[in-house]
Amino acid sequence: MENLHNIYLEEAEDLFSKIEESLLLLEKAPDDSSLIAEVFRSMHTLKGSSSMYGSNKVADFVHNLETIYDKVRGREIDLSQPIIEATFKSLDHLKKIVESPDIPDPIDAKYHEKLTAEILGLLDESEGTDKITTQVQGTKRKTFLISFTPDKDIFTNGTKPILLIDELTDLGTSQVFSYMEKGLSSKKYDPKKCYTSWDILLVADEDENPIKDVFIFVEETSKISVTKVFDGNLLSLPEFTSQLPPVDLNGNRLTLKTVKSFISKIPKKVLEMQEEENEIMEIDVTEEVAVEETQKTQGSEESITSIRVASDKLDELMNQVSELVTTQAGLSMYSENNFDPVLNAIADNVEKLSRQLRDIAFEMTLIQISNLFRRFNRVTRDISNQLGKAVKFVTEGGETELDKKIIDSLSDPLMHLIRNSLDHGIESREERIKTGKPEKGTIKLSSYYSGAKVYIQIEDDGRGIDAEKIREKAITNRLISKDDKLSEKEIFDLIFVPGFSLAKSVTDISGRGVGMDVVKKNILDIRGDISVESKMGQGTKITLGLPLTLSVIDGLLVKVQSTSFIVPLVDIKKCFEIKREELSNDFNELIKLEDDKIPYLDLRKEFLIKDEDVPAKVSIILLENESNRIAVCVDSIVGEYQAVLKPVGKYYRNQEFVSGATILGDGSIALVLDAYKIIARKIVKQKKSA
Amino acid sequence: MRSIEEEQEHTEVVESYLSFKLDDEFFAVDVKKVFEILEVPAITSIPLAPDYMAGVINLRGKVLPLIDTKVKFGLDPIEFTVDTCIVVIEIEVEGETLQMGTLVDSVLEVLDVPNSNIQPSPSIEAKYRLDFILGMIRRDDDFIMLLNLDEVFSIQDVMYMQEANENLSSGELTEK
Repeated sequence: MENLHNIYLEEAEDLFSKIEESLLLLEKAPDDSSLIAEVFRSMHTLKGSSSMYGSNKVADFVHNLETIYDKVRGREIDLSQPIIEATFKSLDHLKKIVESPDIPDPIDAKYHEKLTAEILGLLDESEGTDKITTQVQGTKRKTFLISFTPDKDIFTNGTKPILLIDELTDLGTSQVFSYMEKGLSSKKYDPKKCYTSWDILLVADEDENPIKDVFIFVEETSKISVTKVFDGNLLSLPEFTSQLPPVDLNGNRLTLKTVKSFISKIPKKVLEMQEEENEIMEIDVTEEVAVEETQKTQGSEESITSIRVASDKLDELMNQVSELVTTQAGLSMYSENNFDPVLNAIADNVEKLSRQLRDIAFEMTLIQISNLFRRFNRVTRDISNQLGKAVKFVTEGGETELDKKIIDSLSDPLMHLIRNSLDHGIESREERIKTGKPEKGTIKLSSYYSGAKVYIQIEDDGRGIDAEKIREKAITNRLISKDDKLSEKEIFDLIFVPGFSLAKSVTDISGRGVGMDVVKKNILDIRGDISVESKMGQGTKITLGLPLTLSVIDGLLVKVQSTSFIVPLVDIKKCFEIKREELSNDFNELIKLEDDKIPYLDLRKEFLIKDEDVPAKVSIILLENESNRIAVCVDSIVGEYQAVLKPVGKYYRNQEFVSGATILGDGSIALVLDAYKIIARKIVKQKKSA
Repeated sequence: MRSIEEEQEHTEVVESYLSFKLDDEFFAVDVKKVFEILEVPAITSIPLAPDYMAGVINLRGKVLPLIDTKVKFGLDPIEFTVDTCIVVIEIEVEGETLQMGTLVDSVLEVLDVPNSNIQPSPSIEAKYRLDFILGMIRRDDDFIMLLNLDEVFSIQDVMYMQEANENLSSGELTEK
């Protein structure tokens, strides 16, 4: 049950975002009938699954909404701004109540009633408007009399007459009468022969031909007649059906004559009404069918192209695959060391297969970022309305794929950045007109691949960040001193310092000074980086650089005594080899590399590793992040290694310079170092000694 | 024919416990918490971790944290012999089930102990923290201490130990 509920919630969430997306587009083009149909369909599905799941309150609520859109779809009413507004409000409300359909919170319950009333009000209004009935060239309903007397030897041809009857009744509403041949005695009865015949009253949209087609294979041997008896649905008239004889195997056959006589007994008025009604109903009926059909085809397409899988199952798959890759590395190593052509061939094949498998599994965990972008579409609309600013929100590169975990943890930071742009970046309408900018501000959210990274940019054409203001503020906050000379980049980096806010007033949306530091922390947590570019009066561009995945890391395998470490390649600038003596007797812990003095960290000393087997030559790895460079001294460099990152567990959470562990081909464990934390360690040390 | 007392004994709850040795003392843990018992493989130590965190091992592709139970209990660090074993246990930490390896001097046997044979831990000899010990099992002349694993290896306690260590090193041991 719990599981069902989750599936329902997931589905509802999907539908909400679908509806929202279409609505946002509809705001711009309220006449787009395919969008309206889309909204209607989504609502219809939502209603269906809600009532199936048992939350009738939700279903009833959606039902009213659906009715409105049904009318919009039928061009009975126009899609007005109040309707769109009410729909947005309803969606927000629905998102809340799908979780707890009983609406336990009295405030929510009140709101529920209020919204329901609002929607019903909209419905009432629409009742008053004139109905415009569009003329649809529909096929009209007709009533046919079909009599079917199969050849007695029909069974020997392999035909089952009952299937033909089934096929026939599928064409529309029907009433079937069947008869046994008269005067049949048990003596004469041959079970291989067919003694049954049928008369069928069928109401269908079809002409005679499709009906006749049903009998195409038996028409030569059997007696078949198809006659149209009435333009309209006779079976819906009680005046007609009451005259019909009971189904009786030994009864008299229903002839054209008897049917006509039944019709003649029906009052003329009733018949005319039926004919008229028929015309109106046509429109509804055909459209209904059309909608259902498109739903069907959509459904079947989806079931072919994608399957819903619980994300923890995918995680488990990734785990197993990475274990396979590790085991395979062990096999390859063993086969290399033991010359055996057969084993070598097998190991090569396993390597190939496991690499392919890893790539496929890895791809499966990636999802398009457009899902995330879509969410901001709505937020931007709401906030800009709230602030009274006109903003055009543009997204680009939504098809870029990223690890699901990364996308999940991007939501908050991106939201914050967009809010900042809306609140502080984009100027008010008047101000924009004054400075000669287009009245509507633009916020562009884009993403693209570059190398092994994915970049996400938030760009606005607002007023930009005043570097001088930041400088002043930083001086008053004693973050920097008056004489400090900072590059523009360094100044912009100050906005990521905790507690630093430039906003003059605290608004609902931003300006409390908590935020940018959290944004930066969130981005760093997923091994990303963040940078700011801004030109006064022209706008701000914030760029996030993110790894494609959190589970695999390209690193350099190094050794310090017997312990293996992995240093992420992205953070490595260069590697050098020097004599160890050059490091000893150096109190400043600075090393001269390429005519530059760089602080260094000896991992042996730093990690309190015993002074055993100290090599004469050591390797220096130059680490670099956007503001600092430090050198790290290790015993030796083994080579590049693609590490599958595994957590070392909560017990080691204080050893934060270790971001994880990975299992090497020989089964031993290497620790993955966090370059940022190592650099930070060195800087803290330097400051302490200074 | 069984006497009534015997019948009653039979309906009593009997649980299984795995017993092991640290130095000369006996301890036991609920078998349900024990995942498996391993010989000691290659251990990768994590730099700058507290003493009782012995490092990590590769358990079939999983990185398993390892605790030196002896250091944890205030004894000398474990010395590796042929008898040294890793008892892999599952404990609840902050609402999550975690697996971890505990180093012990030797694993003894699995005991079936009726609940009535477990005595409350003596409060007089508080050599070990009382909340670590669920009770005592008497066996011949020896007492086996039944451990409350969730308490022994809780993260808060790990933190506490760390604090204590820091305090120790700075010379101001505070009694908790």
